[in-house]
Amino acid sequence: MKQKIAALFLASFMALSMASCGTSGSSSGSSSAQSQGQSSKAEEEESYTIGICQLVQHEALDAATQGFRDALTEKLGDKVVFDEKNASNDSAVCSVICNQFVSSNVDLIMANATAALQAAQTASNKIPVLGTSVTDYGTALGISDWTGTVGTNVSGTSDLAPLEDQAKMLQEFFPDAKNVGVFYCSAEPNSKYQSKVITEYLTQMGYTCKDYTFSDSNDVQSAITLAASESDVIYLPTDNTVASNTGIIDSVCRPAKVPIIAGEEGICKGTGVATLSISYYDLGYVTGEMAYDILVNGADPSVMPVQYAPNVTKKYNPVICGELGITPPEGYEAIVVE
Amino acid sequence: MDLLAYFSSLNPMNFVTSLPGNIAQGLIWGIMALGVFITFRLLDFADLTVDGSFATGGAVTVVLIVSGVPTPLALVIAVVSGLLAGFATGLLHTLLGIPGILAGILTQISLWSVNLLILGGANRALNVDKYPLIVSLRNIPTSILAALIFSAVLVALLYWYFGTEQGSAIRVTGSNPHMAKAQGINIDIMKVLALSLSNGLVALSGGLMSQYQGFADIKMGQGAIVIGLAAVIIGEVLGDAMIGRRMNFAVRLGFVTLGGVVYYLVIGLVMWLRMPTDLLKLLTAVIVAIFLAVPYLKKKSKSSFAFAQKRSARKHA
Repeated sequence: MKQKIAALFLASFMALSMASCGTSGSSSGSSSAQSQGQSSKAEEEESYTIGICQLVQHEALDAATQGFRDALTEKLGDKVVFDEKNASNDSAVCSVICNQFVSSNVDLIMANATAALQAAQTASNKIPVLGTSVTDYGTALGISDWTGTVGTNVSGTSDLAPLEDQAKMLQEFFPDAKNVGVFYCSAEPNSKYQSKVITEYLTQMGYTCKDYTFSDSNDVQSAITLAASESDVIYLPTDNTVASNTGIIDSVCRPAKVPIIAGEEGICKGTGVATLSISYYDLGYVTGEMAYDILVNGADPSVMPVQYAPNVTKKYNPVICGELGITPPEGYEAIVVE
Repeated sequence: MDLLAYFSSLNPMNFVTSLPGNIAQGLIWGIMALGVFITFRLLDFADLTVDGSFATGGAVTVVLIVSGVPTPLALVIAVVSGLLAGFATGLLHTLLGIPGILAGILTQISLWSVNLLILGGANRALNVDKYPLIVSLRNIPTSILAALIFSAVLVALLYWYFGTEQGSAIRVTGSNPHMAKAQGINIDIMKVLALSLSNGLVALSGGLMSQYQGFADIKMGQGAIVIGLAAVIIGEVLGDAMIGRRMNFAVRLGFVTLGGVVYYLVIGLVMWLRMPTDLLKLLTAVIVAIFLAVPYLKKKSKSSFAFAQKRSARKHA
């Protein structure tokens, strides 16, 4: 009896999955008639369903998602439904999430962070995908001759703060320094990219740059101690793990009197002297506006270039500046440090 | 009121349509579970190398495919890289006498650096539009078929291998190392062999996974051992519940793969449930725990001791 129940269960399960296999197979088929059918369905629909795939719970990523939601809720009100999912820092779960979005036929996928973007791009070449909080789309998507536009169903916003301006800021604050240490987590692809680019600019300006990396939060203390002992100035890119460990970095660098230029405001608040701040909320908002364009105005993502943060503000941390005896030049706004 | 709204917002069709993708991913991880089965069950060795070798397989596969190597050959080389990783753990354990778990951890830590070097960074994309891939999230029916074929061939191969003299020697080494040694089996060589084989399978699974998801990431192996062990145990529990004592080795291996599928179905279910996303890992663990506890509790309630207790309670009532 138990065997029969088990057999029945397995058989119905197989049949069910084969049935849905059939439907998802036809929906992921590449017939033009199919995609035409899909787009007309979207126009007639009362409301849009948008899938949000976020890689990990994190202040900056959360802000970007919030900005995205706000932009679309403002423009579409009740006509938009969000399906927000978080992979809890497990990149394999991104594939599970994106698979679900594709099989339930969402109208647009918003991918927050590199792994989410890669999974979304693999999952579908039909559903529009907008990325955000990704620094370099060229490396993220394996595009060798990067022109600024992906050219497929993928577009989005990049959180790349203008690195050349950041290098100039470092020079403005510390013209006499010799050694610059770039400190980041080796597990973050965006950090390595930023390090490469800013090292080029800084080397052109006459600084000697060296990379100091760590693999996870446990190694931060020893790595930053080494970096502080060998550098005159330290640069921290927009690295998520660094952002979570500013306390440790501060406790090593402030007593050692090594100033830090930070890639974003959150890091600067914790441990930096100055930064060019971008708002992840604004970045998400711009992504939301792009989504509106695609959904309502029928814009084509393949010709939409990747957009950048709308505003950049020069900011400095008054507490740390005071302690290190640094006076910020004209034009810098003070960060409110509690 | 809220509960009603919540349940009505869940669309069962969404879960059903996402099943094929979850099955495909589960089958790929099922191959990794086969590798974990070899070390955990057959060799009785908790091998933590898999967190590293999974990512190594993925990294090697992506780097090779992107350089133009044909995909099957890239997978073969990935398997070799896994073999080497397992070999390293085996040497650490047998030659240097480092306890098993630590040897695995040491290799896992070293592989982090090795993988970073191979990938040239923390992440490498594998664009399905540009390269011929065996499995991909883009094309799920083909992926399921390919993964099924891989699993079937591997189960058959493993069934044959562990019936040979060498394979049986590995099983004996895990079951009773002292007796094995007394019989003249070189248990050191057997351990190294089993570890290499296991990590080769895990690397193969990593290679398939990186093709499926379209990228290889330095962190992709983190938590792999947990998934592998969960899959092995789920498979055993399911096998015991459905087939009981008549289960032969090949069927056991098949159930191990099924365990992987079940684990990913659970994740898919938790995702579909629209629970607060922070609770993903907790809910997955709870559902897997329920899964594992139910047969055990049922067995306990039916055991002869429980009967004796009830009988005497009735007699004295």
